[in-house]
Amino acid sequence: MIIKIDGKECTAQKGEYLLSIARRNGIEIPTLCHSDALPGIGSCRLCIVEVVEKGRSRVVTSCIFPVMGEIEVLTNSKKIRNMRKTLLMLYLARVPENEKIKKLAEEYGAVVPERFSADKSEDCILCGLCVKACESLGSSAISTVNRGVTKKVSTPYDEPSKECIGCGSCAYVCPTNAMKIKEKDGIRTIWNKDFKLIKCEKCGEYFATKEQIEYINKKKGFNLEDEMLCDKCKKKKAGERLKEVFEDYRE
Amino acid sequence: MIEIKDIIEKYPREKRYTLAMLQDVQKQFNYIPRQALMMISEYVDTPLSSLYSMATFYKALSLKPKGKYIIKVCDGTACHIRSSMVLIDEIYNILKIRIGETTEDGMFSLETVNCLGSCAIAPVMVVNDKYYGKVTPAMVREIIKEYGGEKNE
Repeated sequence: MIIKIDGKECTAQKGEYLLSIARRNGIEIPTLCHSDALPGIGSCRLCIVEVVEKGRSRVVTSCIFPVMGEIEVLTNSKKIRNMRKTLLMLYLARVPENEKIKKLAEEYGAVVPERFSADKSEDCILCGLCVKACESLGSSAISTVNRGVTKKVSTPYDEPSKECIGCGSCAYVCPTNAMKIKEKDGIRTIWNKDFKLIKCEKCGEYFATKEQIEYINKKKGFNLEDEMLCDKCKKKKAGERLKEVFEDYRE
Repeated sequence: MIEIKDIIEKYPREKRYTLAMLQDVQKQFNYIPRQALMMISEYVDTPLSSLYSMATFYKALSLKPKGKYIIKVCDGTACHIRSSMVLIDEIYNILKIRIGETTEDGMFSLETVNCLGSCAIAPVMVVNDKYYGKVTPAMVREIIKEYGGEKNE
């Protein structure tokens, strides 16, 4: 099926999400809470687009909008830009010093009215991507706590969590770099908990926490302790092995 | 004495009964003890973090012990205009608790609600399930006395 995005004809499968079709065709739609690995949150609403169908236009959230028919899409119309501007104004009001949001807000000309005041050290926009990452990886150490103006992401009782393995996935996926993760002298501190970091056998760089290795071993029945390599060295090793096999084959 | 275990085990071990369990625990103990949250987590095989998220989300659930008597002062539009804040101030004068707090002896908790549907008798105050209408600061003192508060004065 063919759909038209900003005048460009794009092929799409029925049920495919609009955002991924657009991105595949090189059409940029801004997002915050979206991650290809963890789709389906749809909370930041920055990816809104206009869908024109049977002569009627409506606004949809492209990251969670499955394409079911032949539609026309406008990703950057005046209406959409205005709505994104309002969204970004509200985000900027919440996280006034965040570089990512500041840049986006500038792009859309969003300015925060003076009557809005905020905590200048705040960087979290409460999109929930970190919570989803933690849940998907099986730890579920963090969740959103409270509601309304006191809503935040935290561990139960704000205490170091038994479940947290210090993998740092929450910080890795965070669109606004809000997660405070500290690494010093082989100790990683995240969510008020200290983790001992493990060095790669080959290059000597810290690459994982002890708890992470234990977790993977337990979950997958591996014994990673035989081979403590960081992903770079692991890739290199796999490459070398492949080369050997290939050369043997040629001979 | 009903124990946490008895409350939880009334329900099947399914995730969808979580909120019902939490409500029953809240009703029995006037708050959700940490131990209860952990037991439910294990019972329905749900991460503690999502239960904590739930318990902090709903206003009807509290993680801190609530008083035996919960005073709800309506602060909806009608009651607000009829100076419900004066009642709240008076309660502070008598019991030394503000909105969301509980007296040290665990007898009274103070909450505000947004409307009780009794605007005709504004300002309204509710203690546990008993309604009091057209409340004045002097009446507040009397009502609290009824429940055994303000003994020292």
